[in-house]
Amino acid sequence: MRELRGKMRLVGALIVCLFVGLGVWYGYTVYSQGSVWASNPYNTRSNGSTAHMGDITDRDGNTLAHTASDGTRQYLTSESARRALSQTIGDQMGMSGTGVENYYSSTLLNISGSLIDKLRSAFSGEERVGSSIQLTIDAELTAYISSIFPEGKDGAVCVINYKTGEVLSWVSKPDYDPSDLLDGSTEGDNIADTAFLNRCLQGLYMPGSTFKIVTLTSALEADPNVLNQKFICSGSWDYEGGTIVCAGGAVHGEVDLMTAFAKSCNITFGKLAYQLGEERLRATAEKFGFNENFKFGDFMIYNSSFPDVNSVGGLVWAGVGQSEVLATPQHMAMIAGAVANDGVMMKPVLVKRIENSLGITTHTLETSVYRQVMDASTADTIARAMYQAVQSGTASRAAISGYTVCGKTGSAETSDDKSVPTNAWFVGYIRDDSKPYAVAVVVEQGGAGSTVATPIGRQALEKAIEVVG
Amino acid sequence: MKGRDKYSSASGFDADTLFDQAPQRPARSGRSIEGMRRALMRSNTRLLLSAVMLFQFTAMLLVSLQEQPVDMQALILAVALPAATWLVTMLFGKIWPIDRAILILVMLLCSVGIITLSDIARAKITPLTQAIYAAVGIGAMAVGIVFIRSVRHWKKWILPGMALCLAALASPWAFGTVQNGARNWITIIPERLTLQPSEFIKPALILILAASLAGRPRFVKCLPAILFAAVCCGILLIQRDLGAVLLYFMTTLLIYFAATSNWLITLGGLGVGVAGSILAYKALPYVQTRIAIWQNPWSDPTGSGGQIVQALIAIGSGGLFGMGLGLGRPRDIPLYHSDFIFAAIAEEFGLIFSICLLAIYVIIIMRGMVVAMNARTSFHSLTAFGIVTMLGLQTMLIVGGNTKLIPLTGVTLPLISSGGSSLVSTFLSFGILLGISSMNAEDEARDIDRLEMREEVEM
Repeated sequence: MRELRGKMRLVGALIVCLFVGLGVWYGYTVYSQGSVWASNPYNTRSNGSTAHMGDITDRDGNTLAHTASDGTRQYLTSESARRALSQTIGDQMGMSGTGVENYYSSTLLNISGSLIDKLRSAFSGEERVGSSIQLTIDAELTAYISSIFPEGKDGAVCVINYKTGEVLSWVSKPDYDPSDLLDGSTEGDNIADTAFLNRCLQGLYMPGSTFKIVTLTSALEADPNVLNQKFICSGSWDYEGGTIVCAGGAVHGEVDLMTAFAKSCNITFGKLAYQLGEERLRATAEKFGFNENFKFGDFMIYNSSFPDVNSVGGLVWAGVGQSEVLATPQHMAMIAGAVANDGVMMKPVLVKRIENSLGITTHTLETSVYRQVMDASTADTIARAMYQAVQSGTASRAAISGYTVCGKTGSAETSDDKSVPTNAWFVGYIRDDSKPYAVAVVVEQGGAGSTVATPIGRQALEKAIEVVG
Repeated sequence: MKGRDKYSSASGFDADTLFDQAPQRPARSGRSIEGMRRALMRSNTRLLLSAVMLFQFTAMLLVSLQEQPVDMQALILAVALPAATWLVTMLFGKIWPIDRAILILVMLLCSVGIITLSDIARAKITPLTQAIYAAVGIGAMAVGIVFIRSVRHWKKWILPGMALCLAALASPWAFGTVQNGARNWITIIPERLTLQPSEFIKPALILILAASLAGRPRFVKCLPAILFAAVCCGILLIQRDLGAVLLYFMTTLLIYFAATSNWLITLGGLGVGVAGSILAYKALPYVQTRIAIWQNPWSDPTGSGGQIVQALIAIGSGGLFGMGLGLGRPRDIPLYHSDFIFAAIAEEFGLIFSICLLAIYVIIIMRGMVVAMNARTSFHSLTAFGIVTMLGLQTMLIVGGNTKLIPLTGVTLPLISSGGSSLVSTFLSFGILLGISSMNAEDEARDIDRLEMREEVEM
C-alpha cells in the first residue's frame, strides 16, 4: 500500500505539473498572440453589429472609411481613389489581411477598449463605438500615383518620409474596389487573384541593381580606399562556373566605383561581391534589415532575405541583387531613406493618431530610430553615387528641377529565359530637409528600370512635394 | 489490505453516529484538536458552499436580465441551481460522510456549464436540457455512492463486466449514428436521445482495471484486463474516437503503473503507445489530417482549420477579462457547446476566469488523490486514483486542444460541455469517488473509536 501511495503521489504531482504547464502555455499564448488572433480576418465578430466601427482618415483628415447611421461601411466616392487605397484600407471581408480595416479591427471596433468603457456601454445600453484612426497616408498622392502607373501592369509604389518613418503612400497593382465586398460576397467578378495583396508589404521581389546600394556600403565599410580602385568592364566576366554580363550588352571599359554605380555596371559589382566574400556582404545586408524578423507594430510586413549562397555564382549575382535576394518595396524605400538620413533607418509608422469615441486621443505618432545601418560618412558617399546616377547615369529621368534627387535603378531578371521582361525598379529620394521623401517603385515585367520605373518615381516625388503637408 | 473485508459483516452501522457525533464527546487533548480541525473544515466547506451558490445566482440572474422580457427559464435556474447545490450537499452529506468540498466543486463546474450554455446556446441545446441531464447525473451520483459502498466481491464481476462493456462498445455498429466524424453513438429515440457508450465504459474500465490489478498480481494475471483495455482502444480507433482512445490508453497505463510500480512494463507500454500513434499516423488519413490542422490551422482557415482558428480567435477576443457574459459571439465557433466550450468560456469570461477554472480542476484532482491515498483497500484506492487521473487527462486533452498546445481530440470538458452521456457518466464516476471518500471517513472514525476504547481499557 505504501508503494501504491508513493506512485499515486508521483502521478498526482505529474498531473498537477502538467496543468500548471497548460495554464502557463495558455496564458502566454493569449498574452503574446491574443490580439493577433482577435484581429484576424476570419474573426466574424468584426463584421457583426456589436459595435459601430470607427472612421479611417488620411493625414489631412479626409475620411477614407466611415460607418453610416444604418451601419453600412462607406468608402471614398471616387472609384479610382477607392481602388488606389484598396489594400491599404482593406475591406469589410478582411480579404486584404494587411489592410487597416482588418489589422486594426479591434481598435476600430473598440474590442480592446478598457474595462470601464465596456461597463459603460453595457449599462447604458448604447452601441459600443469604436475608435477612429488617422493614417500617415496621403490620399491625394496615392490616387495620383495609382493613376500614372502603367495600365495593365502589376507592381507597387511606396513613398515614405525618411526623417520620420511615416508612410505617405502605398500603391499596389492590381487593385480592387472594397465596395464590391460590402454585401458579404468575396466573389467579386472582376477581382484579380492577387489584388488583395499589398505588394508594398507582401511582394517579395529580387531588388536587382537597387541592391548595389548595399553592396557599395559593404565595400566602403571594408575598405574606404575602394573608391580609388579601377575596375575593367569588358561586357562580360567569366567567374568559376558561369558568366555575368552587363544589361543591354553594355561595355563600360575602365571605371571607378562611382561611375560603375551610376552606370549600374554588373561586372564591377559582381567582382566587388566576390572580393568582399559572402560573410561580409551578408553582414552588411543584415544590418540593413535582411533576414530580420520585422516587427514594426503599425503594420505587418514580410521579411526580406539574403540567402545562403553556396557558390561563386550565387555570391556574384547576390552582389547585384539577384540569386534569391528578396526584398519588399517598403523595405527598399527604407534603404534609400537611410542613405538620405545620414545612415539612420527610421522605424516605419502608419498611424498618425487614434481617437476614441469620446474624442480623447489615445495614441499619437511617435518617431523612433529603427537602426543606424551605416555611418554618416558612408551614407554621404552613397548619396553622392546616387546623385551621380541621376546626373549622368541610368537614373537621369528622376531629375526634378530645383531639387537634389538621388536614385538608383534596377532591372531584375526573374527568369533565366530572356524572353520574360525584367522587373523594373527605381529607388530614390529628395535631398531636402523640408521635403524628405523617399520612393521605391517596382513594375513587374516592366522592362528597364531607367525607362519604366524611374519616371514613375520622379512623378511620385514631384506630387509628394506638391501635396504632402 | 484486508481491512475492509474484516468489517464487511458490520454493514448495519450508523454512519452519522460515527462521523458527526464522535468528535463532540468530551475527550482528551488529541481528540479535541481533531474535533477543532473538523469544525474548521466544516466552516470552510460552508463558506465554499455559500460562495458557489452566490456565483450561480448572480450569473444566472445576469443571463436572465439580458433578454427583453426577462428570460424566465434562466430566472428559474437562478434559483434552482443554488437550491439544488445546497440540497445535494446537505442531503448527501447527511446520509454519507462524503468529501463535501469535492461535491460542491463538482456542482460549481456543472453550473458553469449550464451558465455558459444558457448564455450562448439558444437553439437546440438549451440550458434546461443540460440542467435535466445534471439532475439525472445527480441521481447517477447517488447510484455510484451506493454501488461502491455495497460492492464486495469485485473480482467476481470482472469477466461479466468486460463482456458487457465490449457489447456496449460494439453496439453503435448495430444501431449507431455518426456524429462529428466519429461513429460512436447509439440512438435511443431518433432525433431526441442518443447515447455514447464510450462515455459509460469509462467508469467501468476503471473499476475493471482496479479490480484486476488490486493486490499487486503477477503480470500474467493482469493480462486479461490489459487485453480488455487494448480491445476497447481498438474498437474506439475504428469508430474514430481518437480522444477516447488516448484517454483509455493513458489511464490504463497510469493505473497499471500505480498498481504494480513496474517501471519497465510501464515504459514499455508507453513505447507501444508511441509506436501505435506513429503507426496510426502513417496508416490513417484522418489522423494525418488532424495533425496537419494542428500544425498549421491558418493554412485553411475557412475549411479544415476553421474550428481551431475560430477557437483561437474567440480566445484572443476574450483577452484578460473576457467580452463579458452575453457580449461575445462564441456561437461563431463550431461545436462551441461541446468540444470548444473552453474557448467559448475564454471569450465570455476571459483568461483569468479560465485559469481559475483550471485551478478548480486541479483542486478536485488533488482532493481526489487524497481520497485515493486514504483508501483502505488497493481496489478502492486504484478506483479513486483512476477516476481522478482520467478526469485530469481528459481536461488537459481538450483544453490543450482548444489552445492549440496539442492536436485536437474530440473529448468533452468534464462536467461543463453539453451532452448527457458525458455529464451523467462523469457524475457517476464522482459518485464512486465520493462513496470511497465516505468509506475512508468511516474507517478513520472507527480507528479513532478503537484507539479510544483501547486507551480506556489501559486506564
